[in-house]
Amino acid sequence: MADPEIIPRFASQPVAGTQSMTKEARENSRRIFLLVGRLAFAATFLFAAYAKLKPQAAMPWSVASVKTSLSMFAMQVDSYQLLPPQAVSAAAHWLPFIELGLGLWLLSGLWLRYSSLFTTLLLGGFFALMVRTYASGLEINCGCFGPGEKLGVKSLIRDGSLLGFSLAVTVCAFLSKRKHRDEVISAPASPAISSPQSAN
Amino acid sequence: MFAAGAKFREVALNRGNYPSSRWRVLSQIIVVLAAVALTCAVGTPAQTKPRAQSSSTANSDEIATPGKSIGNRAAPITMEVFSDYQCPSCGNFYESTLKYMITDYVAAGKVYFIHRDFPLPMHPYSHQAARWSNAAAKIGKFQEVDAALFDNQAAWSADGNIEKFVAAALKPADFKRVQRLMVGCESNTSAAVKPASLSGKGQADRGCALDIYIEQDQALAKLLPVTQTPTSVITYKGQRYPAMPGFVTWPILKSFLDSLLSQ
Repeated sequence: MADPEIIPRFASQPVAGTQSMTKEARENSRRIFLLVGRLAFAATFLFAAYAKLKPQAAMPWSVASVKTSLSMFAMQVDSYQLLPPQAVSAAAHWLPFIELGLGLWLLSGLWLRYSSLFTTLLLGGFFALMVRTYASGLEINCGCFGPGEKLGVKSLIRDGSLLGFSLAVTVCAFLSKRKHRDEVISAPASPAISSPQSAN
Repeated sequence: MFAAGAKFREVALNRGNYPSSRWRVLSQIIVVLAAVALTCAVGTPAQTKPRAQSSSTANSDEIATPGKSIGNRAAPITMEVFSDYQCPSCGNFYESTLKYMITDYVAAGKVYFIHRDFPLPMHPYSHQAARWSNAAAKIGKFQEVDAALFDNQAAWSADGNIEKFVAAALKPADFKRVQRLMVGCESNTSAAVKPASLSGKGQADRGCALDIYIEQDQALAKLLPVTQTPTSVITYKGQRYPAMPGFVTWPILKSFLDSLLSQ
């Protein structure tokens, strides 16, 4: 005859295991989401920087051809009619390098909360500018991924989606970090690691 | 895999340095592969584009209207501007950018400027203004009439009296020649409506002979494609750069032209 006390103890083990597995699966999904989001944005910003810096009209890569590409990008920034020429020139010459730096930062995975927050702020700024320009009736090039792309509903939907995705990644990155911090604080120290001598 | 991950994370949590370097190394590998794939993906179309562009440059030369240009044809840079005489943004572009470019760069033989007509249907007098401009171009007086139309855009846009400003910009003899070319072009309807239509007596409507030049420019615009005004297309040493729609200030355009000339 089985001991009646054993049954509840035995039954409770799979429940705890299921909870642990669910928590585990959720944690894995979050990590995968962050990884995919991070890599997607890294690729997006690296491509955006490349499209702005690459030589146009079959010119070979050189300092002069990159300068020409940046000047061409300045014309696109200028067509937004938002900034004075000096500011346009500065913005156009810095922005591709900021995008390049952000792409590499996202690739590295370092301080993901801050890189994703910066991404969200940058995309938010772009989106606000695009909406304002579209609403004012200006028919210009977007300049988002190099020359030749018109600013229209399609580009607004794309950038709006990117902004939403970026916001989700940022929130997830902050939540993940907070959860991890809470776990570290509440977790008991492992005897094997915290006091290796006690095992002996 | 998840169990192994859990064990790994448990150890990492106890160490207090989660996420560990193992995850970082894995992500670096994925990232490098993604970057390589990205470079390969974007590299291929960039090499194929110029061929298509050079063929469209040839088309552009074939259907160019000879008279609607300013400067030396042999200049290293050719700038084509698709414009509508009644479009306010085009007027602004002419007054605050193109005028300076014509004075500084076209006069110096650095830029060859070509005007392309792209009258928009929303502007009632723009097609008629384009006809006057083409008539003037036929007698070699394009620059004068082009400037007069943009300088007085607000005035003639109100009542459609373009003739007054064309007359003021030309010598009387030249104006008479232009008037002769404008015979049959008095009606303010565009060629798209007129030539194929039949009058009540069954005779074909002769239409305006100048409309063919406007249609040529519009056909070129379709090829590029140009959909709005002003749109600038710059060609340097036979290589056409992507069309740039919208207003651009003179300092920024000058910076671009200088960067081209310094190559």
